Amino acid sequence: MRKTSTYTEADLISGCAHGDREAQRMLYERYAPVMYPVCVRYLGREDAKDILQEGFLTVFDKIGTYKGEGSFEGWMRKIFVNASLMHIRKVDVLRRTEDIDETPETSGVLEHGVLEQISSREILDLVAGLPVGLRSVFNLFVMEGYSHAEVGALLGITEQSSRSQLSRARSLLQEKIKQLYHGNK
Amino acid sequence: MVTNDFDQRLRDRLEGVTEPAPDVWEGISKGLERRRRKVLFRRFTVAAAAAAAVLALALLVFRGPRNGGQVEAPVQIAQTDPAVTAPAEASQSPGIAPIEEQIAALPQQAMADARMSKPVTPKKPAVVEPAAEEPAAIEPVEAATVVEEPAVTTPVVTTPAEEPKADEPQHLLTEDDLPADYWTREESSEKSHNRTHTSQISILSNLTTVSSDGDLLYIPSASHASSQSGKGQATTDIEPTSEANAAKFYVPLTFGLQVAFPLTDRFSVATGVTYSYLVSQYDILYKKVLYEGAYNQLHYVGVPVSLSYRFVQTPHVGVYASVSGAAEKCVGQRYVFGSNVASEKVKGLQWSAKAGIGVEYWFIPHMGIYFDPSLVYFFDNKQPLSIRTQQPLQASFEVGLRFKI
Repeated sequence: MRKTSTYTEADLISGCAHGDREAQRMLYERYAPVMYPVCVRYLGREDAKDILQEGFLTVFDKIGTYKGEGSFEGWMRKIFVNASLMHIRKVDVLRRTEDIDETPETSGVLEHGVLEQISSREILDLVAGLPVGLRSVFNLFVMEGYSHAEVGALLGITEQSSRSQLSRARSLLQEKIKQLYHGNK
Repeated sequence: MVTNDFDQRLRDRLEGVTEPAPDVWEGISKGLERRRRKVLFRRFTVAAAAAAAVLALALLVFRGPRNGGQVEAPVQIAQTDPAVTAPAEASQSPGIAPIEEQIAALPQQAMADARMSKPVTPKKPAVVEPAAEEPAAIEPVEAATVVEEPAVTTPVVTTPAEEPKADEPQHLLTEDDLPADYWTREESSEKSHNRTHTSQISILSNLTTVSSDGDLLYIPSASHASSQSGKGQATTDIEPTSEANAAKFYVPLTFGLQVAFPLTDRFSVATGVTYSYLVSQYDILYKKVLYEGAYNQLHYVGVPVSLSYRFVQTPHVGVYASVSGAAEKCVGQRYVFGSNVASEKVKGLQWSAKAGIGVEYWFIPHMGIYFDPSLVYFFDNKQPLSIRTQQPLQASFEVGLRFKI
């Protein structure tokens, strides 16, 4: 029987900082289900697994720098977001302009109550299914709370391009949600 | 900065979503193990260097006086070889067995020791007073000779005046028998010898400079993008690139062991073996995918040869100029990017030339510390990208311990 439940978060952090393999495993088991969806949102399910592994290695490497300021989960989440963005930059997908230019602008307002009929996992998959440029802007702006200027700096695009891509991301998501809702009915 | 109601509703739905994750613990565990080994290797290297220094020091301290064996040799011979101290007549005296019997009674090992012993005559002038008419008697007499021709050697080594009585103990060589200047003569001669014509062992570590901010823009060129594998073809799997970021080079580390041999009073030649560790960080294309900030580790083992001229030479301080050349072989190259590790072979040798001045300080007669600032130039030998290919001319700062042997 694992002792996960008997360890507090502080115990696990301290254990990981000292290289305790059991504490590392417990931390992984506790937070992998939380961080995996973050990776999926940015990268899709195919690449999320690799970044989940890489992110945890970074967490264990840097955990000694966590000073207890702010939530530990928030600190970890930043690491996984950065790892995801790094991966996106590595494959250079943001420079593929077809994502941006060839995405049709859709219109229409989502009817009230439609979103509530869709499961969180389905919404996650819809976001993950966005073109990578739109997905990145949407995640950084909506989920992480960055401004367009910050998103532009992080992704190496202009502020205007960030606004434009966010608008397209919203439209595309609404369209897909509608399709999913009507398909489910 | 969520300003849209749709954004807010989406965020509420996605925030805190959990989902069973694929099991990647095995990969994480392997990655952690690799990092642990890396840390251990670093610690081991430091410990090994410290142990080597301590061992060298211990050998130096516990090896004993350099001339101890020579001083004791005459005494030993006097105890074990009755032919040297006893006159022929004494062998006939009551209480003392004839010399042939004494020799026959000697243990075999003692005989062997006696044969191995150095000639005794020069070391015991107080005992041996050859007759004036027989100067040849002071020639070294080996125990082997004594065994074969006792009648010849026995009368030669003693004078009638010094014949011991049969009931008196035999006279053995003591320090009182040595000439008054014996010790000072030996020691001063040895010191002089050490200072000018002594081989030396050096344990060294070396730092070379990198550019001030540690970053250099890497411009890919055919001349040194030469990580090679297989039959010497440049690999297509990993290629350094400067597409996203400038390359970063860490300070190279070198450790080594050298032995110096004197040629003349002032010239000496040295050689040995060195190990160098170079780490760079740059973007790579691995299977056509860009990985930013990949680490490249290079391990070189080299053989340097140097010629030094010592132009200041005091008992404690030496100043010298030296030129040297070295050939180094890259025995390992590794890329670490993310949780991936890839190794590649490197062909060819890295040649370099170095010139500089050095200063050494001998804080005890046999051990000193030295500091060699110098300029080193690394020739273009199509080696993997490193600080040596990007900045071939470097200032080098070598420090180490030096031992006289």
